[in-house]
Amino acid sequence: MSLLTRDNPGETHLMMGNEAIVRGALEAGISVAAGYPGTPSSEIIETLAKISDDIYTEWSVNEKVALEVAAAASFAGLRSLAVMKQPGVNVAADFLMHLALSGVRAGMVIVAADDPGALSSVNEGETRLYAKLMEIPMLEPGNFQEARQMTCWAFELSETLHMPVLVRTVTRLSHASGNVTLGKLPKPDRKAFFQFNGDMLDPMEGPIMSPPVGIKHDSQQKKLEQAAQLFEDSPFNTYGGPESPELLIITTSICDLYSKEVVALLNLEDRVGILKIGTTWPLPAQPVLERLARTRNVLFVEEVQPFIEEAVKVLVAGSHLDLSSLTFYGKYSRHIPTAGEMTPERVTAALSTLLQLEPDPVSQDYPPRGTALPPIPPREISFCPGCPHRASFFSINTVLQLDNRQGFTCGDIGCYSMGMLPGGFFTLKTLHSMGSGSGLASGFGKLEKFGMNQPVVAVCGDSTFFHSAMPPLVNAVHNRSSFTLVVLDNSGTAMTGFQPHPGLPVDTKGDQAPPIDIEKVCRAMGATTRTCDPFDLEATQKQLLEFINGDGGVRVLILKQACALSPEKRHTRAFEVTVDPDSCLGEACGCNRICTRVFSCPGLLWDAENNQATINDVLCAGCGVCASVCPQNAIQRKELP
Amino acid sequence: MQLLGPTELSHRILKGDLCTSCGACADLCPYLKSHGGKIASVFSCDRETGRCYAACPKTGVNETVLSEALFSTPWRADPLGHYRKIYMAKQGIKASKGRFQNGGTVSALVIAALEQGVIDKAVLTGSDGIMPRPRIVTTPEQVLECAASKYIAAPTAARLNRAATEGDTNLGMVGTPCQMTGLATLRTNPLARSDFKDPMGIAIGLFCTWALSGEGFLSYLDQQKIDPSAIRSMDIPPPPAENARLTLAEGVKKLPLDEIRKRVLPGCSVCPDMTALWTDLSVGALEENPEWNTLIVRSERGEALVNRAVEAGLLEIRPISQTSVDNLTLAATNKRKRALAAQERLGMLDPAFQNPLEIQPKQTIMGFR
Repeated sequence: MSLLTRDNPGETHLMMGNEAIVRGALEAGISVAAGYPGTPSSEIIETLAKISDDIYTEWSVNEKVALEVAAAASFAGLRSLAVMKQPGVNVAADFLMHLALSGVRAGMVIVAADDPGALSSVNEGETRLYAKLMEIPMLEPGNFQEARQMTCWAFELSETLHMPVLVRTVTRLSHASGNVTLGKLPKPDRKAFFQFNGDMLDPMEGPIMSPPVGIKHDSQQKKLEQAAQLFEDSPFNTYGGPESPELLIITTSICDLYSKEVVALLNLEDRVGILKIGTTWPLPAQPVLERLARTRNVLFVEEVQPFIEEAVKVLVAGSHLDLSSLTFYGKYSRHIPTAGEMTPERVTAALSTLLQLEPDPVSQDYPPRGTALPPIPPREISFCPGCPHRASFFSINTVLQLDNRQGFTCGDIGCYSMGMLPGGFFTLKTLHSMGSGSGLASGFGKLEKFGMNQPVVAVCGDSTFFHSAMPPLVNAVHNRSSFTLVVLDNSGTAMTGFQPHPGLPVDTKGDQAPPIDIEKVCRAMGATTRTCDPFDLEATQKQLLEFINGDGGVRVLILKQACALSPEKRHTRAFEVTVDPDSCLGEACGCNRICTRVFSCPGLLWDAENNQATINDVLCAGCGVCASVCPQNAIQRKELP
Repeated sequence: MQLLGPTELSHRILKGDLCTSCGACADLCPYLKSHGGKIASVFSCDRETGRCYAACPKTGVNETVLSEALFSTPWRADPLGHYRKIYMAKQGIKASKGRFQNGGTVSALVIAALEQGVIDKAVLTGSDGIMPRPRIVTTPEQVLECAASKYIAAPTAARLNRAATEGDTNLGMVGTPCQMTGLATLRTNPLARSDFKDPMGIAIGLFCTWALSGEGFLSYLDQQKIDPSAIRSMDIPPPPAENARLTLAEGVKKLPLDEIRKRVLPGCSVCPDMTALWTDLSVGALEENPEWNTLIVRSERGEALVNRAVEAGLLEIRPISQTSVDNLTLAATNKRKRALAAQERLGMLDPAFQNPLEIQPKQTIMGFR
């Protein structure tokens, strides 16, 4: 039994932030959880699917649908959870706007995982602004214990207010681990029934909808005022430090830990106080004003947007406090960087400037220890050995360059986003949100009448196809756009850990489910389709050339080959790959090391001493594609049983 | 003359619009390939020297080296190049009829070379509708399918490179001066490779004054509302003719030569070679008599092939008039003069044109973890 389902209140366990969130949701007695995979949020749904049979968990096709699935449960009287990474909130935002207005019944919580510093993202989006924009309450856990507690309490809050509640986590909370003391696991009554016969405005028995907007919006704002009241004496807002500190840090989320660490490291406990806000929106006035009245200098420590900073400034402007006695430092004063994630170093730098310190946090023996290490060779981020994307991009790039009309490829979100980097031969020339590669291609494909004759290619993964590439594809077919969509089908949502998607014959729990055939879907839409194995470079390039040189229209090439790390492929090799030392001519070949300089699979090594390519037996995944890349047939492959 | 690499080739010739798509640089390596009648650079190559650069007839032709290597004789700057004999020629009585531009000499020579085992295969330029398509042939029927002049540039030399890479030797090749110059340079093994084998069994050059850009010509046809697939044949008569003749299903269509010349590849203007100097045999029209060809015999093995073709009744040769040789010499001299002037104008004679280029590598996103 997982420790997450242990019913021993008071026990303390080491848990990952995302596990603490799961535990909080279990302690709240949720019945339904839905989400779309995305780092750093993925472990929440994944864990719930694994540990609890009482709960319905679902990897939905995208975040908007996940939010809708969760909302339906709430409408039917079951506590529910929707989970997504920050860009998913953008996807779900349209429904969220209306849900915030219509209200919910049983407790409904949205966990949004932000990724400051874009460690696993192609943006640095902020969910906190959504709380303000959507006018819903938001909680921000500052540590692992709070992740459990806040998630659990968020359901109660949601039920009190009949409103969805946001819980915002960040990468360093979701993916780090800390001690969590368990609470009680309830035995909820899981009877679902949707009441709709009551009065139009009856939140518990009437129909659930956003109109009449005037009345609903008014009531929504009253609920938000109620939330602010409830937050006034919330235990999630804490203060530590001297009664009248020289400088007050106001912080939220995991930034609290950075602040505490630095204050302790610099021995500033008697000079600096830390006010940590857990109930970030709506910002409770009293706990903040109370601390502001006892200091003259305020430093805001937060990631990305100056959210708390602005909220506090607005609060002060409307308060009785004498503004002239307070000086604010933060993002507006440039003491805290406006982009990138928070680090102890950044807090140290700000405090050092403000308090005129000369800190030397690095221990004396650190530099010599650092230089004693052997030098690490520089490495580009790239695809894994045996990754089908490398082969696919090799072909796409080859074909577009052969074609010679300056054709280009619109990228999308997945491991294959790395197609913009040297490891993907710089193939991707645009990269935005999920599904936008196909949408951009649909637009580019209509510019022929303005003289554009460049061939247009878009790529998307199999999971992305279902998530958001289908509407642009429909758009392109209907509007007679012209481009080639290459579906890089590696049989799963690979980047986030092989979560199933609607194209696979299994559901979230691994049970049998009807798969949806991507090629048939595209054909039904009216696109011309073909399927190739990307490891067959010749066939793939031939097909792609045919599509690119075709008479226009929407063409879909499905390049189907499972991810090298997929559970079904892992540790198996299709080929034994070797380099024939007599055939490899090294630098004399004229190939300019196309295997290791261009194709660059980590399973291939350049043995400079012997002036030859070699195979790294440990890393080689046995896909055999490099054998097709070698012009000298020096790389040989033998089929393995 | 300095041997440089793909960077200079790509920037000065391909991007400089000097490429005539001869194909000599292509299909020698994984980076430069011929596709759809053009040369494409697939992935970047940063070698400082390359056969690609050496092979390109636009990066500079080392006439001294070529003359020694091919004819064992010093280069004497004769506008017609080194030759042993010049004849007027046409196909012999035993040759099959084909759709020739003039006397069918080239087809007769290639068929003779194949039939007599001088070569195993020949690399010729066939047609796919109006567009030229390089192909490998082994039978007289296939040779005849490739007969008649092509006016659009084709990377036929690349097809020979590919065959050579695949291990073919004893290949016959028929090509234009740019194609033959590139291949002749490759035959001198410019990078001194240890695995070098000369794949060329017989090299037959075609007289040439210019070639059309496939793209440019197709867009001109499009402007004129002519479906390229409906064109059965095309003939561009020598001056003073003013029109090209296109045979279509519904009859002959004339297009003004002035318009067509606007679609000539810019790179042709710098080509000094009219008669394909670096071959075993060179063949062209005989201006005085369209039923016959001019045949220049340059090498010993070229002479041997002519003799065998005549003996087999595949080829008929006659002495050529001095007037014809004088006219040819004048035309060749004029082309050379015009080309050198154009080279001067475009800075190709400037020593800097032979200097290595330093191209900064593309910026990558650093700090992306």
